[in-house]
Amino acid sequence: MALYAIMLFSPAPADPADASPEELAAHERAGAEVERLGASYVSAYALQPSTTATGVRGDVVTDGPFIDAKEVVAGFFVIDAPDFDTALAVAKANPATQYGGGVEVRPVLDGFPKPE
Amino acid sequence: MAQYAILLYGKAPADASGLTPEEIEAHGRHGEDVERLGGSFVSAFALQPSTTAVSIRADGVTDGPFIDAKEVVAGGYVIEAPDLDTAIAIAKLNPAIQQGGGVEVRPCLG
Repeated sequence: MALYAIMLFSPAPADPADASPEELAAHERAGAEVERLGASYVSAYALQPSTTATGVRGDVVTDGPFIDAKEVVAGFFVIDAPDFDTALAVAKANPATQYGGGVEVRPVLDGFPKPE
Repeated sequence: MAQYAILLYGKAPADASGLTPEEIEAHGRHGEDVERLGGSFVSAFALQPSTTAVSIRADGVTDGPFIDAKEVVAGGYVIEAPDLDTAIAIAKLNPAIQQGGGVEVRPCLG
């Protein structure tokens, strides 16, 4: 098993308060998919909208996300999965891809907490 | 106390194997900053370079990071801190800022 990070992106400002009940329910269902696909959650976070973000670059502190793009990070989770293909299958099941955004999967080099 | 996510950005491909021993040590020492300023670590992860990323949108799967930019996510951590100002003070001490990248602080929803 290895750790994979799945980052969720949504159209800025990625405000969870704008999500429809259907979208929230879809996220709940996706949680169950993780186990069914043979992976498990290590950690998971939904973030406040990107209007609450603070970026720091050198000595400059700015309001707003670090990268100015159409889509912003909306949350991320780390899973323990047998291989990259499983992590990809988990990522594909995430509803963010159906609501104007998407996901990025990356192997974790090192992190904690460690899976049990 | 509330939870804050601090996302680290580095120049693409943000390959940690390109860091010098001094840079790696600086990241290790940053853990002490968190405690000293009244925060504590909840979780942390360093990512493999963005060349290993796969992104998924409604219209398909592509190799590479989701957002095509000069800088890419290199990792992140979640801290518990008394307020946003403390979280920003901690984030400002992150060595990524002195290594050609930067950080973004966001309050966690849950």
